[in-house]
Amino acid sequence: MAEAHAAAQPSHGGGHATVKTYINVAVALALLTAIEVATLYIPGIPHTLLVSALLFMSALKFFLVVGFFMHLRYDSPIMRALFVGPLIIAIAIILALLALLGAFILLPRHVP
Amino acid sequence: MADHTATHAIHDPNIGTTGLDHRKMGMWIFLGSDCMFFGSLIGTYLAYKGKSLSGPGPHDVFNIPLTSYSAALLLASSLFMVLALTRLNEDRIKAAAFWLFATAAFGLHFVLNQVYEFTTFALDEGLTLSTSLFGSSFFVLTGFHGAHVTGGVLWLSILMVLALRGKLDRRDYTKVEIAGLYWHFVDIVWIAIFTIVYLIP
Amino acid sequence: MPGTQAAKTQGVLWSWLTTVDHKRIGILYGSSAFIFFLIGGIEAIIMRLQLARPDNTLVSAQTFNELFTMHGTTMIFLAVMPFSASFFNYMLPLLIGARDVAFPRLNALSYWIFLSGALFINASWLFGVAPDGGWFGYANLSSTQFSPTHSIDFWMLGLQILGISSMLAGFNFIVTIINMRAPGMTLMRMPLFVWMSFVTQFLLVLAFPAITVALILLMFDRFFGTLFYAPSAGGDPLLWQHLFWIFGHPEVYILILPAMGIVSEVLPTFARKPLFGAPFVIFSGIMIGFFGFGVWSHHMFSVGMGPVADSAFSIATMLIAVPTGVKILNWIGTLWGGSIRFRSPLLFSLGFIAMFTMGGLSGIMHASPPVDLQQTDTYFVVAHFHYVLFGGSIFGLFSGIYYWWPKINGRLLDERLGKWHFWLMLIGFNMTFFPQHFLGLIGMPRRIYTYAPDLGWHFWNMVSTIGSLIIALSFVVFIVNVVKTMRSGTPAGPDPWDGRTLEWSIPSPPPVYNFAIEPTVHDRDEFWLQKNGDGHGGKPASRPRAATPQDIAAIHMPAPSYWPLVLALAVAVMVSGLLVSTYQIIVGGLLTLFCMYRFAMEHHRPAAGHEY
Repeated sequence: MAEAHAAAQPSHGGGHATVKTYINVAVALALLTAIEVATLYIPGIPHTLLVSALLFMSALKFFLVVGFFMHLRYDSPIMRALFVGPLIIAIAIILALLALLGAFILLPRHVP
Repeated sequence: MADHTATHAIHDPNIGTTGLDHRKMGMWIFLGSDCMFFGSLIGTYLAYKGKSLSGPGPHDVFNIPLTSYSAALLLASSLFMVLALTRLNEDRIKAAAFWLFATAAFGLHFVLNQVYEFTTFALDEGLTLSTSLFGSSFFVLTGFHGAHVTGGVLWLSILMVLALRGKLDRRDYTKVEIAGLYWHFVDIVWIAIFTIVYLIP
Repeated sequence: MPGTQAAKTQGVLWSWLTTVDHKRIGILYGSSAFIFFLIGGIEAIIMRLQLARPDNTLVSAQTFNELFTMHGTTMIFLAVMPFSASFFNYMLPLLIGARDVAFPRLNALSYWIFLSGALFINASWLFGVAPDGGWFGYANLSSTQFSPTHSIDFWMLGLQILGISSMLAGFNFIVTIINMRAPGMTLMRMPLFVWMSFVTQFLLVLAFPAITVALILLMFDRFFGTLFYAPSAGGDPLLWQHLFWIFGHPEVYILILPAMGIVSEVLPTFARKPLFGAPFVIFSGIMIGFFGFGVWSHHMFSVGMGPVADSAFSIATMLIAVPTGVKILNWIGTLWGGSIRFRSPLLFSLGFIAMFTMGGLSGIMHASPPVDLQQTDTYFVVAHFHYVLFGGSIFGLFSGIYYWWPKINGRLLDERLGKWHFWLMLIGFNMTFFPQHFLGLIGMPRRIYTYAPDLGWHFWNMVSTIGSLIIALSFVVFIVNVVKTMRSGTPAGPDPWDGRTLEWSIPSPPPVYNFAIEPTVHDRDEFWLQKNGDGHGGKPASRPRAATPQDIAAIHMPAPSYWPLVLALAVAVMVSGLLVSTYQIIVGGLLTLFCMYRFAMEHHRPAAGHEY
C-alpha cells in the first residue's frame, strides 16, 4: 500500500475549505472578538453571566480556528484524537488542580 | 496484496500505512502535549489570581484596546497563513511567499506590542517578575507564549526566504502545513489567554 | 598497517556517533543505562553501608542527602527509563514489522540529548555540588534561600534536558506505532509490548509538560526573582507538589508499563500458550495509563488537602488496583496448563509477578489516608516503591534483557549464570527491602543519615545492608555472563526460544533493514502462526517466500547524520550557560537555532532516491 504513493502529489485529507470559507471564518472571529470586548463594558452585567459569555465565545473562536484553519474538521479521526484527547486531559487536570488549590470554593479545606 | 518485489516501486518515506503523513501526525501530538504545557501555566496564573500581597493588580495595568488589537493581529495572521498554504498548493509561489511574509509580519507586530506592554508595565506601573504573584505569573505565561510566537515568526520567515529563492514549492506542502498548524496553535493559546487573563475580571 | 587500523577504529566510532539505526540507538541507550544503573547502585550501597550501624560516620549528613537524591534521580531517569527506551528503540520496529522508526534522526537526537542531560547532572559531583533536595525537589527547600549553591540548578536544568529527550522520543514512537505497522497488523494484533509502550508514550508526552512547567517556575524563582514558590509573597509550595506529582504519578506508570509489556511477551513464549485474555490485558494497560492521571495527590495525603480531596484520590487510587489485578490474573492464566520451560527470561518474569504483587499490596495500604498518615515518610514507603520499581521494573527489564539478548547479540547468555543471577538478585532484593516494612512500622523515617542505637532499628538495618551486598554480587554474576558470552557464547540463531512474534523470524542480529520482505500479519502471534498454522485445520503453516538479492537491493535505509549529535551538544552548551554566563546562553542558543535549521534542511532537496 505504501509503495503506491508517488512522491509528487501530497494528499490533504478528505474535503477542503475554500478561500471563501476561510474569509468567512476570519470575519466570524473578528466579530466574536469585538463582541467579547464589548461585553466587558456592559454596565451592571452579573459576574457569572459575563464569565460564561466570555468563555463560551472564546471556546467558539477556538473551535473555529482548530476546525477550519487547522483543517481538523476535514482530517482523519486519528489526527482529531491525537489533539482532542490530550486537550481534554489537560483541561480536566487543570480544573482539578485549581479546585485543590482553592480557586473555586468547592472543596472544604482542612483548616488547622 | 501488491507485489512487494518491484524494484522501481516509488515510496514516499513520509507517508505511513494509514495514508497520513508522519510529520503532520507528529505535529498534532506535539500540539496536544503543548496543551498540557500551556494548561499548566494558565492553571498557575489562575491559582494565584487575586492572591498577590502587593503591587498593581491586573485591571490596574491592562490596556484592553491594545491587547484586543494584538488579538486581532494574530487572528488575521491565521487567515494569512491558510492563504499562504492555499497559494502554495496552486503553485503560486510568489503569492505564497507574500502571505507568509504577511503572517510573519503580523506575528512580529504582536511580539513588538507585547514588548511595549511589558516595558510599560515594568517602567510605568511598577510591575516586574518579582513584584508579586501577579507579576510573576503574568510575565511567565505571556512571555512563554510570546517566545512561541517569536519562534513561529522565525520559522515562517525561513520558509518565506526559501520560497523567494525558488527552494519551496508544491512538493513542500506538508512542511508548510505543519508550520501553519504550529502558528494556528499559538493563535488559539492566545484566544485562551486573552479571555482568561485579560478579559475575565 | 597501523594507519589503516586507526582509520578503521575512527570509522567505527564515527559510524556510531552518526548512526540513525534504531537498533544501534537501542544499544547506545542500553549500555548507557547499565552504566548509570551501576552508578546509582554504588550510591545505594554507600547509603546502606552508612545505615548498617547506628551513629555511623561513613558519610556526612550532607553527603547522605546527595546520595539519596542522586540515587533516586539516577535510577528513575538514567537507568529504568533508558533501559525501557533501549527496548522501545530496538524492538518496536521489529515487533511491528517495520524497518525503522518514523523519524530516525530525531531518534538519534533523543539519545544524544539524553546522554548530555545524564552527564550534566552527574557533572555536579565533580564540582562538589551534587543535588541534595531529594529526587522530587520539594519547594521551598529548593529556593535560593534554603539551597544557595548550584546543586539544585544541576538537578533542575538536567531534568529539563532529559525531558526534551523523552518527549521527542514519545512523539517519534507514537507516530511509528500508528503509522508504520506491517500490512494486516490492526491495533488488536499488535504484540503486548507494543501496546504497553504505546500507552507509555502518551503518558510521557502528557506528563512531562507538567514537570517542565514546575521546573520553569523554579528556574525563574532561582534565577530571575519570581515568587512562584515564595510563601512570604503568598506563593504556595504546594503548587510545586501538585505540578510535580501530576507528572510524578504518570511517571511511575511510565516506569512499570514497559516491564509489564515484556512480561506479557515472555510468559506466552515460555508457557507455549497465547497470552490469556490478551484484549483484557491491553484494555487494563490503557485504563492504568488513563486513570494514572487522576491519582497524583495520593502522594500528598499529609499536606492538609481536606477530607473531600483525600477521599477522592483515595478512591481513585484503590480503583486503579483493579486493572493491575486483572493483568496479574491473566498472567497466571497464561501459565496455567502451559508447557513451561523455566529458562532465565521466565524466572525474571515470575519474579516480577511475585514482587510487583507484594509492592502493589503495600501500595493499596498507602491508598487509605489514615493508614498512609502513619506510613508516609517512613521506610514503609521505601519498601513499597522498591518492591514495585526494583521487584517490578528491574526484574521485568532483566527478563527482557535475557529474552532479547540473543536477538540483539546473536549469542545466548549462559543459562547457569543467568539462574545464579536471578536467585542471588531475588534473595538479596527481598533481604534488603522486606525488613524495611518493619523499620517503617516501628518508626524509622526516610532520608535520615543515621539513627540512635537505642531505637531498636539496628538489626533490620544490618540485614538490609547485607541484602544489598548480595544484590551487588548478583550483578557481578551478570557482568561475568555478558563478558563470557559476548565473543564465545553459543550462537543463538534466529529463533532460540521458539518464539511467537515477528522479531524471531529474522536473523540474530538482524540485518540493518530488519525484514528483507515486508511481512503481512494475520494474528498477534504471527510468527507462531507461520510456523504451526492455527491448529484448527484452518490456516496451515506457511512461511513467507525467501528473499532475493533484488528484494534487498530495492531497500533504502535512512542515511547517517551528525546533526543529531551536534544539535544535542548545542543544547547542552545553551542550558549549561545558565550556570556560566549570559554570553554562553546566547552563543548556545544561536548555535541551537543554526543546528535546528541544518537538521531540518538536511534532506530538503535530496538527490533522487535519497529522500531520507
